[in-house]
Amino acid sequence: MNAQTAIDTFVKETGGWIASQLEACTRCGICAEACHFYQATGIPEYAPVWKIELLRRAYEQRFTMMGKVKLAMGFEKPITGEDLTTWSDLVYQACTVCNKCSMVCPMGIQLGPLIHDVRSGLAEAGVVPADLAEAVQKQVEEGSPLGVTDDVFEDRMEWVADEWEVDLPIDEAGAETLVVFSSIEIMKFPDNIAAIAEILNAAGEKWTLSSKGREVVNFGFYEGSHERTKLFLGRVLDAARELGVKKIVVTECGHAYDALRWTAANIMDVPDVEIMHISGLIGEYVGRGRIKLQQGAFENGTLTFHDACKIQRRGGHINEPRQVLNILAPTSFKEMTPNREASICCGGGGGVIAIKEADDLRYETFKLKLEQIEAVGADTVVMTCSNCRLQFLDSFKHYESKIKVMGLSEMVAEALVE
Amino acid sequence: MASFTLTPVERGIMRCRHTGPFSHEQVQALAKFLEDYQGKLLVDLTGTTGDECARNIKQFRPMMPITAIFGTELDPSILDISESYYTHEVRYFETEAEALAWLRDQEE
Repeated sequence: MNAQTAIDTFVKETGGWIASQLEACTRCGICAEACHFYQATGIPEYAPVWKIELLRRAYEQRFTMMGKVKLAMGFEKPITGEDLTTWSDLVYQACTVCNKCSMVCPMGIQLGPLIHDVRSGLAEAGVVPADLAEAVQKQVEEGSPLGVTDDVFEDRMEWVADEWEVDLPIDEAGAETLVVFSSIEIMKFPDNIAAIAEILNAAGEKWTLSSKGREVVNFGFYEGSHERTKLFLGRVLDAARELGVKKIVVTECGHAYDALRWTAANIMDVPDVEIMHISGLIGEYVGRGRIKLQQGAFENGTLTFHDACKIQRRGGHINEPRQVLNILAPTSFKEMTPNREASICCGGGGGVIAIKEADDLRYETFKLKLEQIEAVGADTVVMTCSNCRLQFLDSFKHYESKIKVMGLSEMVAEALVE
Repeated sequence: MASFTLTPVERGIMRCRHTGPFSHEQVQALAKFLEDYQGKLLVDLTGTTGDECARNIKQFRPMMPITAIFGTELDPSILDISESYYTHEVRYFETEAEALAWLRDQEE
């Protein structure tokens, strides 16, 4: 563990933007009230403003007179190896980088990206939780953090195509759209893969999967490593270049969508392609009449919708799922509170679900979501992110709840009208 | 004919008995069951051969909860999987008694 490496990374990252964000903070603490980890536990260290403390200290002690004086006089401590361990727990286990804190900040400080920068310093210093580091290493070496090797991908796609009776084109020359699934969909939710394929085929999309850019999940982004984020993004972008597609469709992974849609363009060369999330594409298909859905196909019980942080709040795909649900379940669909951009995270995002040590905290924060779902009386919760879906399934099991989980794509595929 | 039947063994353990060849619909139904099911699974393959069910067992493996399999000769390598936070332990046993004893011992 090298504290100086982390400090050097914080300092290297600190340009005018970070400096202005840090200087703007009035320590009002409103961000704490927006954080689901703080809300669920009341632990003051979980306040987002405290999670960026190392970045603030590195900035002030290097760049401001007051910081230098405080350090020299012993009023403030330099960053130590022990600090790195403490903040590793805070920013990897007690933060999903959901960025709701930024929405409530009266100064407009982008706390989520700043916390991501803290992760970057910790990643450079090698202070990443072991489970997350192991998954990152797997993605470097095997091409997948969850075991989707070349052979597994080929085998699994063949099985889904065969058993769900759908066309799943791979490396198809002339395709206009590259579709990239997340590894969790590939391994856990084959029905979602089949559903998305059915929708694309029904819309007449000229699409393909890629054996080279076969999955979109990016554990380098979770970790905060620029180098590995780029490496994993590069696999998908290179595949898009080689196939000559015009569009990349990210399926159900929020963080991967964030990384590919916004981060990539800021850290590397990105081909001239449109990058879309499947929920946006479905909305477009429905809006333009490229697919037709059976009105009221899911009109039973009570359904609610979970807004994923990176897809709905960050990605803006708030209306499309509601447009679809209002067709499929016009009276059964009820909003939980809060919803849309004000929705709270499920607690499993940002790599938290991959860290065994964080399980108790993850379940504790999910309790808030569970209460919101129960308050609306829903027996089914619909979502557009497979990582959220895994968190919901696992946490419902933990709490012995019988609430069902459904992917929006599966509902759409089931309601397709010829 | 149903390709599998599901019956409760005891609280928290369900028996999934393979009873015939799988249709596409039955594969899809079993996938959905594995997604929703919250307990442990006892997979009884006495009604089939290892070769017949190998493909589906291999593909269902990442989706299985804590599972004990018995009832027919099975190539254990099809249960090998890259361990991850979403995977659960799945083991093959010679007899039902061994399988059930192990399953009862597993904490979820």
